[in-house]
Amino acid sequence: MSGIVRSVCIKCTEQLLKSTTVSNFSYQWTSLFSPLHRRLSAETQLITDPVEKHEGVQQPVVIDPLKHPDFFEVHKLFTVKDLFDARVHLGHKEGTLDENMKPFIFGSRLGNLVIDLDQTAFYLRQALNFIAHIAYCDGIILFVTRHRQTSQFVEKTAKECGEFAHTRYWRGGIFTNANMQFGTITRLPDLVIFLNTLNNVFEPHVAVRDSAKMLIPTVGIVDTNCNPNLITYPVPGNDDTPCAVELYCKLFKQAILKGKSKRKVMEQEE
Amino acid sequence: MVLTRSGVACFRVVSRNTLLTAWRRYSAGIDKGEETTEVKVDTNLKRSGFAKAFEKFQGLGTESEDTEQCHHSFATLLRNSKLIQLGDPEGKIVIGKIFHVLKDDLYIDFGGKFHCVCTRPQRNGNDYVRGAKVRLRLHDLELSSRFLGSSKDLTLLEADATLLGLVWSPVQESLQKKEVNT
Repeated sequence: MSGIVRSVCIKCTEQLLKSTTVSNFSYQWTSLFSPLHRRLSAETQLITDPVEKHEGVQQPVVIDPLKHPDFFEVHKLFTVKDLFDARVHLGHKEGTLDENMKPFIFGSRLGNLVIDLDQTAFYLRQALNFIAHIAYCDGIILFVTRHRQTSQFVEKTAKECGEFAHTRYWRGGIFTNANMQFGTITRLPDLVIFLNTLNNVFEPHVAVRDSAKMLIPTVGIVDTNCNPNLITYPVPGNDDTPCAVELYCKLFKQAILKGKSKRKVMEQEE
Repeated sequence: MVLTRSGVACFRVVSRNTLLTAWRRYSAGIDKGEETTEVKVDTNLKRSGFAKAFEKFQGLGTESEDTEQCHHSFATLLRNSKLIQLGDPEGKIVIGKIFHVLKDDLYIDFGGKFHCVCTRPQRNGNDYVRGAKVRLRLHDLELSSRFLGSSKDLTLLEADATLLGLVWSPVQESLQKKEVNT
């Protein structure tokens, strides 16, 4: 069941990402949710390939951010050494290992698991690129964590990058019954970032399942005791040590701010 | 390092300009006649004494060292890490730093995944403040065990260690400063 939801979610995301125009992309995203949406400057003209046009006709150079492998240069934001110094590779004990996390594990040292940072770096780059694109398209981003030690820091990060955070008890129908819960027509987030995918009783956070139900893409830091199946962009890594969470928050904030600043630049060029 | 007039080597805090001028005066192998504003290091020339030391200390903390480390693969970094060198955590002595104090509970971070919580000792209890360095004997990096009937372990999200003693405390340092001033 969860596999089907995940494949649907991924296909949906892929389809939407393949769309060529910025305006189309943003329209398709928002049409999935409630009618009220932030007015996007959909008039951002997409630069057509100069090859298609006739020679001699002066065309403005148009860049399609979706076609660029790293439009926001998020790949340069961190190195494997940075991850290592922030203790991202440390996992729980073998007894708490989730079967689905086995591909991401480098090995175990006397019962303590070690996460493969080369894989983490790859997944983190993908996630940061996606976050930057969502921020570029004026998407709403929601940070979610139930890890009490780091929850205040996550809230502060969300505030600093102008996005939202939910680090308290998650009432059942926040996504699935939003209009009833909030009493008015609501716009759901376009991306949910999990700094910890488990809740206080070591069960998967309800928001993971609900985001998949509502077709909201998710980025999540998955530790060795988490289930990465329902998360669109899982990032295997340590989610318990404060210095690791601080590193993730810093990277996510930088990616979001890069996306937003690029947006401003593009709008000014019009 | 600068040579005093008597010839005895001593450490002295000098500005970079004085270091450069001193190097020009004392270094061997550079044309003494030329008055150059730029000082270029010629790797072919053999340096001795002050010049050799100056070159060595000039190269410290430059980018080349950092980039070398960055190019190491994760496997190399892990192999040379303290975690692997530690081996079995049972009985190992480590130094931790107190990052939070709650009445008599000290939350100590020693560089592992989790922190450990120890009670404040009777002796020198007031020296154990946030920022103090303490010596610990580790027992376990993570307190987790399987309970009857469950398929997975239950973890406490904490490490297990015994407090041995104080290494350094900001309280002690401020007291020493007071003594020095008076």
